[in-house]
Amino acid sequence: MNRKVFVIGLIVALPLVALLFASLSRDPTRIESPLIGRPAPAFRLAPLDGGAPLTLDSLRGRVIVLNFWATWCVPCVEEHAALAQAAQQFGRETAFLGVVYEDSAPEVRTFLGRSGAAYPMVMDEGGRTAIAYGVYGVPETFFISADGVIVDKHVGPLTPERLSQLIARAKARAGGGRS
Amino acid sequence: MTAALGRYLILLSLLAATAGALVAFASAARRNDTGWRWTRRLAYAYAAAIAAANAMMIWALLRPDFSVGYVATVGSRSVPKWVAVVSLWSSLEGSILFWGFVLGVYLAAATWRSHASQAEYLPWASGVWLSTAAFFSLLLAGPAQPFATVPFPPSDGPGPNALLQNHVLMAVHPPFLYAGYVGITIPFGLAVAALFAGRLGAGLLRTLRIWLLVPWTFLTVAIVLGGWWAYEVLGWGGYWAWDPVENASLLPWLTATAALHSALLVERRAVLKGWTVSLVIASFLLTILGTFMTRSGVFNSVHAFTQSPIGPAILAFLALATVFSLVLLAWRIDALAPEGRLEPGLSRDTLLLLGNLLLIVFAFTVLIGTVFPLIVDAVRHQQMSVGRPYFDRMVVPLGVGLLILKGLGPALPWRRSSKPTLLGALLWPLVGAVLAAGVGLAAGARNAWTLLTLFFAGYAAQVALRELWRPVSQRLSRASAERPRIGRRRVAAHVVHLGAVVVFVGVAVSSTMGVSKEVALSKGESFAIGHYTLTFAGADVVSEAHREAVVARVDVAQDGRRLATMAPRMNYYASQQNPVGTPAVRSNVFEDLYLSLLNVDPSRQTLGLHALVNPMVGWIWAGMIVMALGAGVALLPARRPLPDNGRAGGASDADVPDAR
Repeated sequence: MNRKVFVIGLIVALPLVALLFASLSRDPTRIESPLIGRPAPAFRLAPLDGGAPLTLDSLRGRVIVLNFWATWCVPCVEEHAALAQAAQQFGRETAFLGVVYEDSAPEVRTFLGRSGAAYPMVMDEGGRTAIAYGVYGVPETFFISADGVIVDKHVGPLTPERLSQLIARAKARAGGGRS
Repeated sequence: MTAALGRYLILLSLLAATAGALVAFASAARRNDTGWRWTRRLAYAYAAAIAAANAMMIWALLRPDFSVGYVATVGSRSVPKWVAVVSLWSSLEGSILFWGFVLGVYLAAATWRSHASQAEYLPWASGVWLSTAAFFSLLLAGPAQPFATVPFPPSDGPGPNALLQNHVLMAVHPPFLYAGYVGITIPFGLAVAALFAGRLGAGLLRTLRIWLLVPWTFLTVAIVLGGWWAYEVLGWGGYWAWDPVENASLLPWLTATAALHSALLVERRAVLKGWTVSLVIASFLLTILGTFMTRSGVFNSVHAFTQSPIGPAILAFLALATVFSLVLLAWRIDALAPEGRLEPGLSRDTLLLLGNLLLIVFAFTVLIGTVFPLIVDAVRHQQMSVGRPYFDRMVVPLGVGLLILKGLGPALPWRRSSKPTLLGALLWPLVGAVLAAGVGLAAGARNAWTLLTLFFAGYAAQVALRELWRPVSQRLSRASAERPRIGRRRVAAHVVHLGAVVVFVGVAVSSTMGVSKEVALSKGESFAIGHYTLTFAGADVVSEAHREAVVARVDVAQDGRRLATMAPRMNYYASQQNPVGTPAVRSNVFEDLYLSLLNVDPSRQTLGLHALVNPMVGWIWAGMIVMALGAGVALLPARRPLPDNGRAGGASDADVPDAR
């Protein structure tokens, strides 16, 4: 039995295998946003149904759930029910805003006509707001605290549990005040 | 029906491999001839069952029969026949099925080539081969089931990943890669057998070397083909990005290259037996690591398959194989004690050893760069990527170091020799070195690393060419059979070295001396790059059977003379949201003109173009072909069979100790 060989082999192999086991749950497509912890970029977006443009300032004082989506995006359609339900549940103290990303108003109207509109939708003409928020692909959802700071960003479809968890985090931040 | 039959065939292969492995280990421990006969039969049975399962899948893909789970996920009615066949390895489950097929071919070939004189160690090796086969059949029977029955078959499927449909090289690169990756199972089994048997004699060493050289050759070709594919398809103008999956194919190549060289010292000096065996084992473990990296979803890469449940299974196998190897090495490595010794001083022997160390450092450098993002993520929960700067800074000096050894080593005689001999051997190739560096300077090379590479490439090329000329000159001076002939193996080695030198030159020049430009053009506008003038002649929409495309026409002129029209394009596949750009490449011996579309608008006839002049990229592909040809020469069957204790080489050094 050659102990030296065994020990050297273990020193080389063991951390590597352990590291790989630890990384199994890793999602390499997750991209963290440098915007987290920073003031949310201002926006001025035209509502789908016409009327005065919505701005970030007009929503201040409430937690904002800013959801970038499109009707051609399957995961967006999947998460729509969760968002609609959460909007009914948290609608009083939380502002839900659906930002339509690279899609046409008629398509969105048809879709909402079928699955119901529970919160306001705005059109992002030219994708300027999506660029300001560094949206990589849809769906992406930003959670903005009452004092206008981006607390979290979620990439991919939201589940009801994850939604309420992230809304709670954004609220906690507002309670702590600006640090 | 097809699906059920496929599942039975996979179960059959699992049964044959498991039974075969058990019988093999039992007969190895008891030296039982009947057991060994049954092992061989079961190995053939495994190969036949898995080959039949593959044939069944190809048939289902060609029809296409969407009641088979895998066909429903990657099949399509609208793809050409070759794409349908290629779909076999385009996605996770199919790629594992194909893996099993390649392993079956290797297993059958290795079993068929074996003979009675190897009875001492072959049952051990077969046990290892069949255990590996059993693991992959288990994956196919469980987590990576390609023959799931689809209860309500769709009328059409999405077709394979568009990137794979985009170039015919994709039909060629993966089979070579699998032939390389999977094939290392065979030398791994032989290395384990050497440990169990407690000796690495001349006969086993020769078998090991040949079975290592086969997958090494395939892996060499596969790595370069992968770069070639990236270059022709991905459109960023390069061929190697230090992507985790690219690194995964490089790692076992480095250790296998080291093993092929250290085997020379085992053969001639009866030293480094345990080291060589360890390198072969490491190469196998690294192929499994690479398989994990490609299929676990842990790494993000253009080449990676999507996240899947088989990641943990492969990792468990890797952990098991690592523990098995470590315990076996620790237990038995002292049985492979050196019988000769390595003399100190400057000689081919010591430089071989140095080269081995450099290759291992190289492998560690690449491995650390590859897993470093995982470490950072695990420890600090931060994302980062290790990019080109790290690899360039670390790997370029190592590569140049290897090139230097590649020149000096073969220039030197074996064993210790006198100072005048050494000086004579080392000084003469400086002619080639100065010549190559001079040509580089004249052609405008100013980068120090490039000039250094050219210098030592010239040195190594002259050494290799002189060694290759020797047998020719001996023949010309009517060498008789009594004179020591330069063996074919040695000729082969120098041809491979020469090919590698060409690759080195191509990599060094292309990565430091290219020009690139990004321009926006309207129809009729032109611009200059290098000594070319490019004019945008217009863009057309083209409809093809399985895709739509926007093709830009770019006229290429040089000194006012029109050379050609190049057609970079964007392909649109039904299954894919984003278009797939396909660059256009025009090559001559010294440079490529490479055009890749950034955007194109056929209605307004505008174009965003990335144009590059890449010098000597073609040398990389050419060098690879020379390397493969050289390795092929070494693998040709010997003209007359050699006795088991004989030497396959024909070098002038006549005192190879019988390693028993």
